[in-house]
Amino acid sequence: MNALLFVLTLATAQTGDAASAADVASTPAAVASPGAWPRPARDTADVGPKGRWSTGFFNPTRYALTDGFELEANPLLIPVAPNLTGRFAILKKELRLTAEAGLLVPTFGMRLMKGYFFPTWATSTENIGWMLVPRVGLLLSGTVREHDVWTVRGDFTFRIPLGPNSATPLESFIAPLDLLFAAPTTGYLARVGGAYDAALGNWFRVRGEVNVYLSGPTPHLFVGGEDKGQLSPRSPLYVTGHVGVDIATFKHSRVTVGVLWANYDQGAKAVVRDADGFADRVPVRSNNILPTLDYIWSGGFGD
Amino acid sequence: MRTLFIVFTALCSVSCEWAADSLSFTREEIPVYREKAASPEPTANPTRLKVMAWNVKYGACRIDFWFDFWGDRTQMTTQEVEGCLTKISELIEQYNPDILMTEEIEVDSRRSAYIDMVRFILEHTPLRYAAYGETWNTRYAPSEGVGRVNLGNAVFSRYPIVKAERIRQEDRTDQSALVKTFYIHRTVTRAELDLGNARHVAAYVVHTEAYDNDGTKQKQIKQIHGLMTGETLPFVIGGDFNELPPLCDEKAAAGTADSCEGKMHLKGFLDERASSVGTDYAQPPYTPSVMKPFFDEFTPSIELARYGNTPDSQQMYFTHSVLGPDGTNDEGVKGNWNRTLDYLFVQKNQSWEAGSTDVIQGPGRLGITADVLRLSDHAPTAGTWVLP
Repeated sequence: MNALLFVLTLATAQTGDAASAADVASTPAAVASPGAWPRPARDTADVGPKGRWSTGFFNPTRYALTDGFELEANPLLIPVAPNLTGRFAILKKELRLTAEAGLLVPTFGMRLMKGYFFPTWATSTENIGWMLVPRVGLLLSGTVREHDVWTVRGDFTFRIPLGPNSATPLESFIAPLDLLFAAPTTGYLARVGGAYDAALGNWFRVRGEVNVYLSGPTPHLFVGGEDKGQLSPRSPLYVTGHVGVDIATFKHSRVTVGVLWANYDQGAKAVVRDADGFADRVPVRSNNILPTLDYIWSGGFGD
Repeated sequence: MRTLFIVFTALCSVSCEWAADSLSFTREEIPVYREKAASPEPTANPTRLKVMAWNVKYGACRIDFWFDFWGDRTQMTTQEVEGCLTKISELIEQYNPDILMTEEIEVDSRRSAYIDMVRFILEHTPLRYAAYGETWNTRYAPSEGVGRVNLGNAVFSRYPIVKAERIRQEDRTDQSALVKTFYIHRTVTRAELDLGNARHVAAYVVHTEAYDNDGTKQKQIKQIHGLMTGETLPFVIGGDFNELPPLCDEKAAAGTADSCEGKMHLKGFLDERASSVGTDYAQPPYTPSVMKPFFDEFTPSIELARYGNTPDSQQMYFTHSVLGPDGTNDEGVKGNWNRTLDYLFVQKNQSWEAGSTDVIQGPGRLGITADVLRLSDHAPTAGTWVLP
């Protein structure tokens, strides 16, 4: 059960595919009642102002320590996968530029998933190794039509091994999980993406996001320290799209619902037939469609 | 929103799959595969067909997987699987069957490096056609990181396969709905072969349940018997029945003529690890009497008389060992063939060529030179079918 909770939380929180966090844009501050102003755009380069915070069930918690620096973490994950990200505002004008630097230590959480998503290794000493997984990134945002915000981003997550590691890529059909474990199991994950977050009146926001990811190469399989060769190579390219609607509730909170689409190589093959009617199996990229849902609170507006 | 729906539908039509295929059919046609290499044409108007049935253990050779309890592997590299399949293909080529039935063959599984083993065998042996019947198709089995699985049975033939189908078998009833969703669903694969001059024969390959405790395997074996009884073409059936030969009746009281006592081991096989007891992969009790109708009503490649009445005499027809020759059990005994689970049958009024049938346990059997005990956890059973 712990493992399942861990999966669900990580799946929606850490990849940016699901709606992710933070009511901290610098759009109108005080909101008297739901719908009085559009909710700020989410997951942009905006940082602060000081004291602004937000949190969701699955989305991470953000807190602005100063007008130009905030911390982000997922408290639910901290007991099993300590994580912390710093967001530094570099430019806060019409264009906003923010740098992110974070660190995740996923090993304990991954070990909780042994028996389900990873082997138990009951008869050997193989295990999921300790590792540090830093992430660095840049986000650039701009505002159009008063309350709409566009954002482009690039980030790079990589693994610093602290010992031998027998975990291999998940190759599941849940794209956020595969992306989450891509760096810990292949060595790195690079992402470029863009999003447009539009206000539809005072009550709704619609957000569209596209990301392209490149993971590290399929690793070699080591058994008892012996290199057994490379596991069957998969395409390292992942493409995801997310469309979501935020619905304002109460004073500063919102419900966010959406759909995530992901296209990547899961090892699937399709049966095709030749002119004589004989069959063959050809590799195909798989498509996943997953629902996303969260409730996000925010505060620190000075009201 | 409507546009979005159309876009998603279009994308799904490219490749959207269910999490697991429940195999909701009673009987359905399946595709036939043809080799790309050009192997020699088989003998026209044959009077005999060489037949082999082999559980090829998903191309793992003797790599011990987690559910065997002698190891804890969950996946293999391309190099390992291709290396194993090359040896398996060499043995097949050396025996040179006209019909090959394989069980535990995979076409798209994470554990076996996603290798299409049906295509591999077609391109590396003189066999020219194949019918592959899936028995387990899941996008991700969330157990030990097994992941994607596409496993099944296949009939290979040197003669054209003109019709292929799979027939659904009963599912286990002793599993939770969740486990059942992602678990194997047994099917029988039937292929109709055209031998020329309008002569057709049927070849069946079967693989029944191994770990049930609710009588599923017995039901499946009875269903297979029913299929054979209703077959209108001359047929051969082969495969892994997961059941011992009916040399005795497990229900007979000790001391009676049919008792298994002293005649045949029903439990305590050398390859059963104590740690498997109480798990989902413990060996359930064998019920050899369920195989009796097959030996009574069809012609087995190995008659009961050849097995003899002692475990020692039966030894040379054992077809299975979970434990390989490079491992020893908890008592220090080396792995070796220790029970018979695999069979070949033809109709009652048909026969096997004298001296042609055997279990290929190792070098020297039916002219094979390979170290078979290292190629799978099952030995091939083979013989020459004298056509009617």
